[in-house]
Amino acid sequence: MGSARFRVKTPDVMHESIEGEVIIINLVSGTYYSVRGSGAAIWGLVQDAEAVSGDEIVEALSTIFDCSRAELERGVMQFLDDLLREGLVADAGTGVETPGTLKLSENGQTRRPFEMPTLEKYTDMQDLVLIDPVHQVDEAGWPRRPDAAMPGADA
Amino acid sequence: MTEVAGTEGAAAEWAGGLDGLGESFAVAAEASGGVSDDRYALAGATVVLRFASPALRERLSPAFAHLATGPDDATAPPALTVHLWDSSSTGAEPPPRPAVPDNYAEGALYHFDRPSLRAAYQPGLETLSVLDWTAGTAWHWVADAFDQPYWDQACPIRQILFWWLGSRNYLQVHGAAVGTPTGGALVVGKAGSGKSTVALSSLDSQLLYAGDDYVAVTLEPVPRVQSLYSSGKIEPDHVRKLLPHLVPLLSNRDRLDKEKAVVYVRQHFPEQVTSGFPLSAVLVPKVRGARRETRVVETSRAAAFAALAPSTILQLHTAGPDSFATMARLVHQVPCFGLELGSDISAIPEAIADLLDRLSGVE
Repeated sequence: MGSARFRVKTPDVMHESIEGEVIIINLVSGTYYSVRGSGAAIWGLVQDAEAVSGDEIVEALSTIFDCSRAELERGVMQFLDDLLREGLVADAGTGVETPGTLKLSENGQTRRPFEMPTLEKYTDMQDLVLIDPVHQVDEAGWPRRPDAAMPGADA
Repeated sequence: MTEVAGTEGAAAEWAGGLDGLGESFAVAAEASGGVSDDRYALAGATVVLRFASPALRERLSPAFAHLATGPDDATAPPALTVHLWDSSSTGAEPPPRPAVPDNYAEGALYHFDRPSLRAAYQPGLETLSVLDWTAGTAWHWVADAFDQPYWDQACPIRQILFWWLGSRNYLQVHGAAVGTPTGGALVVGKAGSGKSTVALSSLDSQLLYAGDDYVAVTLEPVPRVQSLYSSGKIEPDHVRKLLPHLVPLLSNRDRLDKEKAVVYVRQHFPEQVTSGFPLSAVLVPKVRGARRETRVVETSRAAAFAALAPSTILQLHTAGPDSFATMARLVHQVPCFGLELGSDISAIPEAIADLLDRLSGVE
C-alpha cells in the first residue's frame, strides 16, 4: 500500500459535505464531483489532515468497514488514484507531520459492508472555465496600462 | 482564483490606479454636462449609480428600475456609490487597466484583490469594474456604451454587486426567484435547466418576480431573497413556443438570431416585480415535457447544493470558499425540492404557489 502523503489541492478545489454526500468542485477544469459512502469517508480523512497516506486511510477505515484488508487497500488505492488524476488532491511531499492515528467522524462499533468508492464526475459546466478563464493580476498588473507587457501572464 | 498577497508597492500602485479612474470619470462628466445620480434600495441600504454617460445610463438603468427609491430617500447617505461611464460616447481617455497578453481568451477575466480593493477587467468586453469597499465607492468603465452585450445590459455591474453584497452579508447566486410577500422560492440549476421558464411563467400568476438568473440571498436573521435585476432572458425558441405572449414585449426582438430574448419585467408588469421576500424553499427544476402537469417532488439537499453551488462559483468567477460554505448553509436551512416541469407552462406557478402555501401552513 502507499506511504505517499496527500492533501486537498486548495485553492483549486472547493468541497462541502451535505448529509453524507461530498460535492467537490475543481475550479481549474470546471468539473464537479459527487462522492458518497466509503468515498466520502476517505475524502473526510484527507480533508481533515494536512497530509495523509493511503496506509493511514486504510488503517482508519478498517475500524468501520467489514471487509478484507486487501479489498480495502484496493479500494483506497484506486480512489486516491482517481482523486490525483482529477486534480483534487496533490502530493503533500515529505516533512509534513500527520496525527498518526486518523479519527473518523463515525464510531466503529458496528462495522458496515465496504463498497468500492466511486467519484461521480460532472463536466457540463467546463465551458464556463474554458471560455471565461479567470486570471489573477498581481502587482505587476493593474493599474499598468495595456501597452506595457505583463511578464509571465498566461492566457 | 488564487488570492494574491498584498505588498506596500502594490498598494501604492493601487492609489495611482484610483486616481486614473477618477480622472477619466471627471473628463466624461464634463463632456456629458455633469452626472446623473440614480438612487436604489438594495440589501437594506441606498446605492447610487452615478452616470457620466447618458448613453450608458439609457442601457443599464432599466435593469434596476424596480429598485428605485422614492423622494424620502433623496438625502440618505448612500452605502455605495458606483461611477459609470464609457469612453466612446464621452471622449474620455480610458482609465488604467491591467496589462494583458495579446492572446487572451475571449471571455477572460483578470482579477485583482487587495484589502480593501477589488478589480475585474475583461479585455474581450473592454470592461473594468473596481470596488473600494471600505470607502463605499466603485467604478464601472466600458469602452463603448453602444457596444454593450445584451447580457451585460440585462445584468449590469454583476462583479461590483457581488463583492459589495458580501459586505452586507448577502451572497449573489446563480438562480431565479419567484414568490409572495410572505415567502418565495429560489430556483437553481445550470443554464438551460428551466430557471427562466419558471420565473417568466410567473408573470401571469399570483407569484411575484424577483429575477431569473442572478439574485442575492442572506441567511441572517432569516433566509431572504434580494432581487437585483428586473430583466429576464430566455432562449428565443422557448419564448416563442412556451411564452408567446411575451414576444411583443421583448427589448431585442430584432436581434433574436444572435441574442437571447430579453424582457424588462418592471416595464411591462410593474405590479409583478418585487424587491425580495423571505426564502421558503429551494427548487431544482427538471424538464419533463412528456407529462402535462408540473409536480413538486422530493430531492436531497446535496442535489440542491450541486445544482446551486458549482454554477454560482463558476459563473461569478471571483467567488471563493466562503461563498461555497454559505450555499451549503443555505441548503441546510431552507427546505429543498425537485420541480418536474410539465408541458403545461401555465400550471408551473400554481404548483409553486401550492408548495409555498403548504410550507407556510396555509391550506
